This record gives sequence, structure tokens and C-alpha cells, in this order.
Amino acid sequence: MARVLSAAFTIAVKDLAIELRTKTAFMSALVFAILVLAILFFARDPTAVASIDIAPGALWVTFTFAAIVGLNRSFLLERENRALDGILLAPIPRSSIFLGKLLANLAFVFTVEFISLPIFVLFYNVEVWSRLPALIAVIAMTTVAFVSVGTLLSSMVVRTRFAELMLPLLLLPFLVPPVVGAVQVTSRILAARPLSEMLGWLKLLVAFDIVFFVLSLLLFEVTLEE
Amino acid sequence: MPPVVSVRNISRRFGYRLILDRVNFEVEPGEVIGIMGPNGAGKTTLLRIVAGITKPTSGEVEVSGILAMVGHSSMLYDALSASENLRFCARLYGLADEGTIDSTLDLVGLSKWRNQRVGTFSRGMTQRLAIARALLVDPPLLLLDEPMTGLDDTAAEIVYQVLLDLRAKGTSMLIVTHQTDPVVQLATSMGFLVGGRMEVIEKVDNRSASDIAARYKEIVHGG
Repeated sequence: MARVLSAAFTIAVKDLAIELRTKTAFMSALVFAILVLAILFFARDPTAVASIDIAPGALWVTFTFAAIVGLNRSFLLERENRALDGILLAPIPRSSIFLGKLLANLAFVFTVEFISLPIFVLFYNVEVWSRLPALIAVIAMTTVAFVSVGTLLSSMVVRTRFAELMLPLLLLPFLVPPVVGAVQVTSRILAARPLSEMLGWLKLLVAFDIVFFVLSLLLFEVTLEE
Repeated sequence: MPPVVSVRNISRRFGYRLILDRVNFEVEPGEVIGIMGPNGAGKTTLLRIVAGITKPTSGEVEVSGILAMVGHSSMLYDALSASENLRFCARLYGLADEGTIDSTLDLVGLSKWRNQRVGTFSRGMTQRLAIARALLVDPPLLLLDEPMTGLDDTAAEIVYQVLLDLRAKGTSMLIVTHQTDPVVQLATSMGFLVGGRMEVIEKVDNRSASDIAARYKEIVHGG
């Protein structure tokens, strides 16, 4: 287990070091997130729709699509010079490759979310600070679910000719259930509703986390087959 | 001593195409086998199967100990420096000796460029670093896929010298190529892979590159 985690950590650190140096995906995701938040905000008629009604949806559309930018990059890195072959040659369990990629993707998506959140608050003028721990918890739960399945699908599509187009196409249907759950919970958090009103959705999100993570981990090795 | 690699009855299909057809051979400790074949003969697939990257459709490969590979592509990250690439590899193999990274870079003549990004390297420098990456783990078996292709004379000479030193050290090697020179000077045996079948593996002994080339032509073109 220690070997799996140490190799996963090594892979994650390498991915993040490359991203820190190039900033390609990070800047694209961040600019994309800011643009989506701004466009959805200005598309709203303030006399007809209150910002709190549109805010949860806007937040999750932004996070979801911004995450796809990073997930796309995850395995494309390994396609360059067939670097993945170098990892496959190493005497490490293949599950550590998935865990390493997952860790790097989580760090990437959490960073984009962390920077986008204050911008979201600025645009939509919603009170989040008193509900921040609950909001962070739902963001973390949903992110783990969609990054798990996104990491798996990213490794699956990387060998296809149109990997960057294929990933959203395959990923979005899987994202609908957890993102719907996240929107429901977020709207209740922002409206300061009691925990009992969101408990069902929270349970569903936990179930998605477990199912998506375990299935992705189990299926990952198959995606590496040529 | 047991063979470093035993390849038993390996076949590989991609869809309906049969790429390798019941290939058998063994690599003994210290042996250097050069495998020649025309384009599309299945050489790279064979190497990838031995490396464990690709699974065979049938048959089995037994490798004793770790192995390293220098492929067509460098398997390096352009955005990382030479030393960062080697450090990443070392950590994957559970090695943490910074001194080994320095000495390996020195061995392939890249010490001066240790902190330079691989993306700025020439083809020759990249290939030398790819070899350094393979040597870092001090493998008993080294797999090489067209190691000299695309190198200028200086880079080819450095790579050749490194491979000669490895052979003298007793490292087993499996080299696939479509050119006799300079693999024949390194190899103890040559195999000829044609249409996915290993036609023959025979000792090089004192035969020259032109003798081997003639033998290769005879096998590929039937005389």
C-alpha cells in the first residue's frame, strides 16, 4: 500500500510541476470559469430572476466545464513522447497511476474552484461566508465524484484522434446525477435551509463518490490496454 | 543461470490483423540479440510485449528482474529538465540517490544541460537522455527500439559507446532495428522477424555487417 501511495504521490507531483511550469490548462480553466460566471450573470434579467435562484446552477456549470479543461490535459501530458510507456515500465501497481492522476486532477480542480468562488460571490452577491464550511463540503464531495470518473475517461480517450472532443461527450452524461445533486444542495445551503432538507441529496452525493471512485479504480487498468 | 527473458509462443492480433505469429526465443544473461525485420514486421510490438506495455493475445513472456526500454519516442517530459525527468523515473523505481542521477547524466555527456528543459534538446541529446533514463535503474535487460535512428554521427558514436560498455558489463540487450549497422557489432545473435514470424535466430560469430545484411535479404526476399 505504501508503494502504491508513494508512486501515486510521485506522479501527482510531476503532473503539478509540469502544470505550474506551463500553466496551460490552469489559465484556460480559470479564464473559462470567469467568462462563464460573467456571461450567465449578465444574461439574467434582474427584474425577473433573483440572483440567488440562478447562482447554484451558474456555480456548478462553471465548475463542471472548467474541470473538463484540466481533465483533458491530464493524460494528454502522457501522450507527448509516449511518456506513459515510461510509467508503465516502472515496477509500480497500475492503480497508483490512476491515484496519482486523480490527486493531481483534484488539486487542479480545487484550485480553480477556490479562485472562482470569490468571483462567483462578487457577481451573484450571495451570502456564503457564514455557510462556507457546508459549501466547501458539497464542493469537495461533488468534485471527488466527477474527477474520479473524469480521470478514468481521460485515460480512455487519450489514444483517440479527437480526445479533447471525446472527453466532454463521454463525461457529461456521468456528471449529470452528481451535479444535479450538488445544485440542489447548494441552493438549499445558499437559502440557509436546514440540514434535514438536503440530507437525501447529500447521501446521494456520498454514494456517487464511492461508486465512481471504486469503479474508476477497478476499470482503469483496462483503459491502459492497447 | 536462467534466461533473462523467455518468450513462449507469443501471438498478437490488432483487430483482424495478425501482427505476431507464435514467436519463441530466449535471452540469456549477457546476451545481446538484434532483431531485424522490414517495416510492419512486428518488431516494436514484440518489444512492447516483452516490456509488459502491450499484452499478447496468446503465449507468455517471463522476465527475471526489472528491465528498461529505449523506444522510438523518448518517454520524457518536454516541460521538465533533464535531471527532473531522471528524478521522476528514479522515484518510480524506488531509487532516491541524487548521485546516481548526476553520474548517469555524466555517462551520456549531458551533465552541462542537467537543468535545461528537454523540450529545448536536439534529437541526439533527447536520445542520450532517454538512454540515461534506462540506465538509471541499472537493468539486467535493456530493450532498444531503433536506438540509432535519426542521430547525427557524434550522438550515434556516444550511444554506441554506451551500449558497448553495457555489453562489456554483462547487460543483456534486445535491439530491434531495420539496419544491420551498427547493431551487428553489438549483437551476439541476430533474429529475423518477417511478417510477424521469427524466421531464425543465429549466432553472429565473426560475420560482418554485409554478411548479415545478405543473410537478411535472403530470408526476407527468399534469396
